[in-house]
Formats: sequence, C-alpha cells, structure tokens
Amino acid sequence: MSTNAPTADLFRSERMRRRRIVNRLVEGAATVAALLAVAVLVIVVSSVVRSGWGAINVDFFTKTPAIYTGFGPRPASGISSAIIGTLIIIGIALVMALPVGVMTAIYLNELAPRRLAGVLTLAFDVLNGIPAIVLGIFVFVFVVVGHGQAAWKASFALAILMVPMIARSTQEVLALVPASMREASLALGAAKWRTTLSVVLPQAVGGIVTGATLATARAAGETAPLLFTSALYSDSVSYDPRQPIASIPMFIFTSAEQADPVLHEQAWGAAAVLIGIILIASLIARWFADRSVRRLKGER
Amino acid sequence: MKAFVTRRKRPLAVLSVLTVAIATAVAISVGGAQARSSADELKGAGATFPAPLIAAWQQKYEAAKGVKISYNPIGSGGGISAITNKAVDFGASDAPMTPDQFNSCGGCVELPWALSATSVMYNLPGLPNNLHITGPILAGIYLGQIKKWDDAKIKAVNKGVDLPSLNITPVYRSDSSGTSFNYTTYLNTVSRQWKSQIGRGTTVNWPAGVGARGSSGVSGVISRTPGALGYADIAYALKNHLKFFSVQNRAKKFARPGLAGIQAAAQADRKFNPQSNELSIVNPPGSKRFARAYPICTYTYVILRIQSDKANLLKPFVTWALTSGQQYGRPLIFQPIPKYVVTRGKATLKKVHS
Amino acid sequence: MSVAQERATGPAALQRRGRFRPGDAVLYVVTCASALTGVVLLGLIIHEVLSQAWPAIEKFGLGFLTTQAWGDNGNTLFGARSFIFGTVVTSLGALLLATPISLAIALFLSELAPRWLRSVVAPLVELLAAIPSVVLGLWGILVLGPFITGTLGPAIHGSLGWVPIFSTEPTVGSNMFAAILILTIMIIPIVSSICRELFVGVPAELKDGALALGSTRWEVIRGVVFPYARAGIAAALILGLGRALGEAIAVTQVIGNRVAINTSLFDPGDTLASRIAGQYQGADTALQVASLVYLAVILLVFSLIANLAAQLIVRRVAGRHQV
Repeated sequence: MSTNAPTADLFRSERMRRRRIVNRLVEGAATVAALLAVAVLVIVVSSVVRSGWGAINVDFFTKTPAIYTGFGPRPASGISSAIIGTLIIIGIALVMALPVGVMTAIYLNELAPRRLAGVLTLAFDVLNGIPAIVLGIFVFVFVVVGHGQAAWKASFALAILMVPMIARSTQEVLALVPASMREASLALGAAKWRTTLSVVLPQAVGGIVTGATLATARAAGETAPLLFTSALYSDSVSYDPRQPIASIPMFIFTSAEQADPVLHEQAWGAAAVLIGIILIASLIARWFADRSVRRLKGER
Repeated sequence: MKAFVTRRKRPLAVLSVLTVAIATAVAISVGGAQARSSADELKGAGATFPAPLIAAWQQKYEAAKGVKISYNPIGSGGGISAITNKAVDFGASDAPMTPDQFNSCGGCVELPWALSATSVMYNLPGLPNNLHITGPILAGIYLGQIKKWDDAKIKAVNKGVDLPSLNITPVYRSDSSGTSFNYTTYLNTVSRQWKSQIGRGTTVNWPAGVGARGSSGVSGVISRTPGALGYADIAYALKNHLKFFSVQNRAKKFARPGLAGIQAAAQADRKFNPQSNELSIVNPPGSKRFARAYPICTYTYVILRIQSDKANLLKPFVTWALTSGQQYGRPLIFQPIPKYVVTRGKATLKKVHS
Repeated sequence: MSVAQERATGPAALQRRGRFRPGDAVLYVVTCASALTGVVLLGLIIHEVLSQAWPAIEKFGLGFLTTQAWGDNGNTLFGARSFIFGTVVTSLGALLLATPISLAIALFLSELAPRWLRSVVAPLVELLAAIPSVVLGLWGILVLGPFITGTLGPAIHGSLGWVPIFSTEPTVGSNMFAAILILTIMIIPIVSSICRELFVGVPAELKDGALALGSTRWEVIRGVVFPYARAGIAAALILGLGRALGEAIAVTQVIGNRVAINTSLFDPGDTLASRIAGQYQGADTALQVASLVYLAVILLVFSLIANLAAQLIVRRVAGRHQV
C-alpha cells in the first residue's frame, strides 16, 4: 500500500474544490434566476397596484368611460361598461366551451378507440397553440364579415381558445378515476352512458372546475380576438350580446397608448381589476385541483 | 354510506348551480336586450382627427335632442371599412374615398363636416413654443436625412434659439390614417424626393422614425420622448400641452395652426370633387390672400350610406353638425366651415334615405 | 334465490344486458361530435384564412416573403420580409434570454430549493403566466420603455455599443429590445413549469446513483437530469417559441411599428402578429386586408410547425418513457 492516504486528500484535493465551487456557482445562479423571475413579477404587480390605486374609487366601478376634449371640467368616468362587458363575454364563452370541452374529454378518455383518440388529442393540442390573433381573423372572416361585430362572436372566439384547455384538464382527471369504479357500475347492469354521467363524471367535477376556471382566467386577458369581434362598442353599459360591447382588455389596450395621464391611471386600475379577477379564478382552480386530486388519490 | 353519497353529490350540486346561474344571466341579458332598444343611438367610427370635436358634439347633441352618439376613433381607414361593412351608422375620414372604395362601399356618400389643421408637434424641454420649420426640412426629417435638432437647416430658420444636439425621432401613424394622407400630401408638394420616393396615402412606407396608433398614440409617444416630432390635429397638441411648429407657407411667412391660419387656407379650393366632395387645401399658393394661411390644413369628412335604417336620425344629426355644431369647434381650433360647404353638404345629405 | 336476484342475474337479464341501449348511442354521438370539433375547427381555420388571403397570394406569390414594403406605390405593394425578420429576431432573442433563466428556475424549484421556499416561489412564477399580455404591454409602454431609454439602453449602448445589435442609442422606448424583454417575461413561466415537471419526473434511482458515485449536485443535473429530460426540454422551448411567435398585443404596444430591417435592437421594427393587430381595423382596401391575412398565413405556418414539432417530441418521449 502506498504511503498516500487517498481518502483524506480526495476531499481536499484541488479538483474536488473546483467541482464544489462550480456547484456552488450554479446553485447560486439558479437561485438568482428564480429570484429574478419573482422580482419581475413583484415589479409588474406593484406597478399595477401603485399606479392604479389612484384610479380606483366608487366612480371607477359605477361610471362609464367619458371622452374628454381637454377643455372644461373633466367628467367623472369609470369602467363599469367594460367590467360588465367582460363578465358577459367570458360568461357566454364559458357556456359555449364547457359542454364541448367536457364531452370531448369524455369521448377521448372513455369511448374512443386508442388510435383515433391520439389523433384527435393531437388536433386539440395543435388548436391550443394557434395564436389568438389568427383565431381573431378566423372568427372575423367566418361570422363577422357582412354581419357586423357582436359580443357573442367574441365569446365564440374565446371559446375556441378555452375548449382545448378544458378538454385536457378534464381528460387528466377522468384518467385518475379508477377503472374499478367503472367496471363495478357496468357489472351492476348500468348502461355505459349511465356509468359515465352518474359515476365517473361526479368524480371528475373538481378537475373540470379547475380546467374551466383556468381557461376562463386565460380568456379574460385575451385582447386579440376582441379586436376583430367587439371593438366598435358604445360607451354606455350594454347587456345585448348581439352588439359589440366594451371589455376590460380593450379598454386597457386603447387607453395605454394615449397621452392622457388620467387615462393611464385608469388603465392601471383596469389592469388591477383584471389581474384581480384572474387571481381569484386561479386560486379557485388551484383549490379545486388540490381537493379533487387529494380525494381521488387519497381516499382510494 | 349516506354521508358518502351526500359528500359526493356536493360538487355536482355546485356545478349545476353554477351552470344554472350562468344560463340565467345569459337569458336575462338576451331578454333584457329586447327591452333596451338601440333606437335612439347612432354609432360611428373613424378618424381620430375630428374625435375631439365629435366628443363635444356628443355631449351637446344628446343634451339638445336626446339622441346618443357613440364614436370609436380607429383611424380614417377604419372608418371607411366600418361603414363599408355596415358595422356603424356613419364613418369619418380625413381622406376622401377613392373610386374603388366607393365601389366597395356600395352606395355611400361623403361630405366635409369639419375643418382644422394638422399641427407638427415636438418635444424639446426648455425650448419655446412655435419654433419655425419649413416643408423641405420636414421632408428631410421624415426621409431620415436630417437627424439632429442642431442641424444647420433647422438652425437657419430658428436664429437665436439654442437647439440641442439631440436626435430627432420622427413619429408617424402606423395605422391607416387620414391625417397621414393630409401630411404626406403636403410633403409631396414641398419635396420632389418625397413625391417620387414615398408618395402620399393613408398608409405609406415611412423610411424613418417610429409608428404609433391614432393621433392620441402619436401624442403619447411624443410626450414621452424628448427629441420626438410628429403630426396630429392641433386639438391634440393643445390637449396634451405639446409644443407645435409655425410652418412656413408659400408666401414665405411662418404661420401658426390657429383659426386665422385655417380660415385663410380654406379659401384655396372651392371646387368639390364630384364623387367625394373633396376640397384639397394643402399648401395654398403664395399670393397675398394666403399670407396667413397655415399650409397643412384639411377638411374632414363624414361618410353615410345612401340607404340606412337610421336615416331619420342621421340626417338631423349631420345637418346639426354642419350648422349649429360648428360653433363648438372654435375652442378646439376647428374653424367653422364656409357657407358653400354647408350648402353642398346639405345637398348631398338629401340623397340619404331610409 | 330471491325474485330480485333471479331477475338481475337470470338468463333474461343476460339477454337484456347485451341489448343495444339508445342512451349509449346518444352519448357516443354527442361526445364524438364534440371531439371532432377540434379537427373541424382546425380545418376551417386553415381554409378560411387561406381563402381570405388568396387575393394577395395570387397577386404577390412567394415573392411576398422577400419583399420589404407596406403600402408602397399608392397602397398597392405589400411584402412580409421585414415582419418575418422581426418575428424571427424577437422570438429567438426572447428564447435565448429565457432558456437559461427558465432552466435555472426549474432546477431551483425541483432540486435546489428547500421545501418551504419552493411552495412560496412556485405559485409566484405561475402567477407571472397569469398576467395578461395587454397588461404587460401597458407596463412595457409606461414603465419598461422609459427605463430602456433612460437607464438600461444608455448603459448597454455605452459599454457594448461596438456590438452591431447595440449600435444605436435608444431614443424612444418603442423598439425591438423592449419587445424581446416582454416576450422573455412571457416565455419564462411556460418553459420553467414544463421543465420543472420534467425534472421532478427524473427517476430518483438515477439521481441517487450519481450522487452515490460522488457527484456534486450540479454534476448530477448536468450528467443525469439534463440528458434524461433532453427531449422534453426541447419540446418546452419550442412551445415557448410558439408562444412568442404568436404574441400580437403586447408586442404591437412596444415595438415601434416600423417596416424596416435594422441591425440594432434599439431601433423600432415590427413582427407578423403585431402588424396584423395594428393595421387590421383600419385596412381600407381589399388588397391590404388580403395582405394582412397573408401575414396571418405565414404566422400560422410558423406556429403550426413549432407546435407540431413540440407535440411530436412530447409524444415520442412519452412513448419511450412508458417502459
């Protein structure tokens, strides 16, 4: 045996030290990167809150946008028409997208032959990746040209955006439902449709709600489809989905590029409202997701 | 066993309640839509140039006649396409429609209903308002040839002003704009190079600078960017407290875009284009009559469909705008239109019916 | 056997079970129709967009891709060259910036952070994905733009001005650099969340084995995690790229809308999606509308390629790892 004691030196050797330094550097870099991302988020959200805070008051939620010519007293204005418009457009989009998404997931997960399911899933995944601006052009060409803009047409465009997300989320949670439940129900003599609707689907409700709220959160912030379908709106509050109506993203988009600092402040305020809606939806989605996954995995 | 069933039914109950709630809301909204009629509302879209005046009209007309006017300033091109697609009741454009556009529109008329000036605004902190500039210099700036504020040519017309060595950022309209049409028409008359290389239009290939949407967008970029320069209706310069140039006219005088300058320029053309009623008053001749004329003035037009369900609301509104409405333009530097334009407008309006 | 049991399991019951149930047929038809909407919509979208772009495709052909013009010659000449350049530069630039940051975040959240920190940072990174693009654009116009012209731009131009991409001074806040930064912020949450799931999915035995052999954490990552997740990382990056390619609203707010190919990132430019968003409302001639939809066709081709590539990689990886 040589007189060197390799084990002790191995730890303190030059090479080992270098490797450990590199390791430390990389760990540090990763931490810095993560904190950078968090910092950016904090900066953006704090900009929104700080700059928009001044705009948020009772008028903001109860009055409609007012045009200011620059002379005379500025009329009180707010974004009530935009908030109501966004809720209506998203609501109709959800009504359009939820059944289609859930039924698609049922078909792909329960009823379809494997090959076909693969192809159809691929189609939906590709549909998910189509840019929102192209969807806007499609809906414009398909239903708006010659017939005029309308809020339901904006909902239609957003529904196309939402269906793949809802379908995928529902599929994931349907897959978690154990086969034994389905088999037990079928063994008891229930028809396939009965099994699906009364046994499998209730299990998946948590995942469906997750997918629906995530899709809603995404659709609430989309501006591109609105440009083509609900951009020529009047400033008054409107509940008619056959007319173009105001919406928060369009308000932010048009106000952001103006020179009026009061409009900027209102745009920040509207952004805060929008982020608030999205945050609440995401939190609801997360809560339902945790709950349903916990139940499906934990209890069984 | 019983608890197991009840617990399972809960999320389903929540989901069904939610669905019912949403369905009810939709039903109410559709049902409510029947009740709330849009019969007393006129919808318009188009140029950002007259938007300040139309805003004043919206307030005054609703107070006077109870009819609500809504207007979307999406640019002249947007106004032309909106009225062509029947998405609005009236369109507004600073650019006269071409024969092709009249064909696409399929039964439309156009008439001038307001008159103002395109100011050239700039952001030079600490420097006085109404600096001097000439057409050839503007063309040189927008061609990318004159790059700095302390260029000899600019200094030559601004003796005694301490111009900084700042980069010039020319700002142009990135959307389809009648103000661009007006401005490029002007540049065509003052620069042969511009005319041959770029030409005029609502959309041209701007060789230098940065683009912005709408007159408000141009004002926005200028107000945020020291050294920037751009064109928009004078009302925007005033509203956003931006400085604007006195531009040299053909009579070699430096004219300001005020009511007097516009009134002088308006005399330059009295011959209406038979189809579009266009009056082109850009860069009036250098005779004594036009000594005070501001060289970049333009009429702005309203476009109506000959056959419209809202004709019984449109005709009174446009008539009002041509006559009583003009006085509200003064503080916004919209010069009241001459009598012969009002007469022509009313005659054209007669063609509109329901 | 009781009467009920007899009824449930006797020969008559067996025959009943084999009988065709109308409810099943209804379910099958309804859900199949829903599932087919994906394919139908995809086909419709491609068809409608192509047919609307046809007048421009017919007039300009493939030369459209190499022409640099927009509205020249009295609004008769249009070309996509500068927008293709802008799209490629901004998307690749954003991907370049986002890749190391996203991978680092994914590593941080899957390997390096203590559990408590993980549960705090992870939702915050996901929240970044929830910020709508129009809000990011608003922030870009009013906060990032002035920051670039006031602080960041002069600093970069001052120190790295000899590099062609930083060769001009940023005088206005709307430029390609701002667009790249905004797109980076958009890509990071997508790529990092996918990569994080990938890294978590690396089998513990592989990592433990490497650690047992004396590797440092970084060597485990470099030698085990990255190679294992290689294809998935590629798919994530391509998905992020697809997102950046298609972003219209935030980009059009900050990019300066210029038809030009400039070497410096501090100059304004334009991308395919951004030009469509900025000009579509106001397009007043049929040729201009068709040209804008032609841009959408090009954009669709780009994003379909990126999307299909990512999906195929994901499926191949899923198949391989199913063992």
